[in-house]
Amino acid sequence: MAFRDTLIADLTTTLSGSNVSVSAELPFVQSGDVRLDIKNKKTLYIDQDNVSKEVLYNTLDADVYQTVTTVKGYLTVDAKNQPGDIDSVTNSIREARLGITGPYSKECETSTEITTDYITYEFDFEFITV
Amino acid sequence: MAVINVTAGSQAILTLGSNAALAVPGATDSLSIPFLQDLTISSAPGTVRYSTLDSSSSSAFTTVNENSVSCNMLVDDVVMFGDSGHAVNGVKTNGLFETSKAKTEIFFSVSFEGTGTTGDTYWTGKGFIGGLAPNASIDQAVWISPMEIIVNGELTKTDES
Repeated sequence: MAFRDTLIADLTTTLSGSNVSVSAELPFVQSGDVRLDIKNKKTLYIDQDNVSKEVLYNTLDADVYQTVTTVKGYLTVDAKNQPGDIDSVTNSIREARLGITGPYSKECETSTEITTDYITYEFDFEFITV
Repeated sequence: MAVINVTAGSQAILTLGSNAALAVPGATDSLSIPFLQDLTISSAPGTVRYSTLDSSSSSAFTTVNENSVSCNMLVDDVVMFGDSGHAVNGVKTNGLFETSKAKTEIFFSVSFEGTGTTGDTYWTGKGFIGGLAPNASIDQAVWISPMEIIVNGELTKTDES
């Protein structure tokens, strides 16, 4: 099961009573060059897992690798009238990383970008498994 | 002349056995230590220094060689703790920890150029396993341990035929 699916399942439950909903769709760009989270504000979109294999240890016979999985999430809301629970919503989204089992490192970094009258929260999840 | 390239992953091999035949590189039932980070063979002659009245520099004579093989490795559970289903090679059956604890003499070889090709060179000897000190930390993610083989006697060079 992709980490994306777990995040969507967990956050659908966690955010059910909030002002933000969770979509199972990918944040693709619709006609008119508008990404779905910008078109459908107050809806969280989780992008596909991106997986890379990196050398953890070089050894004389067989290298040991770790798997780094990154997942991006996008949430766009009105910049002037943000939902009253935006802080708890963004905190819940970050905390959803802890619902993933397996990786020894589970990190989430949030950044924001304001464009005209809306603000986009971008969540960068990173999971590392040996 | 050419340097020996160990990056192929099959060149520098430490093989252990409960007798000399089982310690030959690539031998059936031999125990090849996996996940070695480094491998060092030390052959240091003992020396005694002395001074004489007719020289401003000291002189020296040699005594016996002190030989050892040392390495650092990522800990493999079967290699460290043994394979109870194996009955031929005692080192493989008991694992490094039990063999070290029991102070059982083992035979070993160190391949320089891999195995399976005529002329491949390896060194052999016998000795005792020591220096195991497994270490874990959250930063390194896996168990890592040094190991030393205190060589009992000579190191012998052999070419694969």
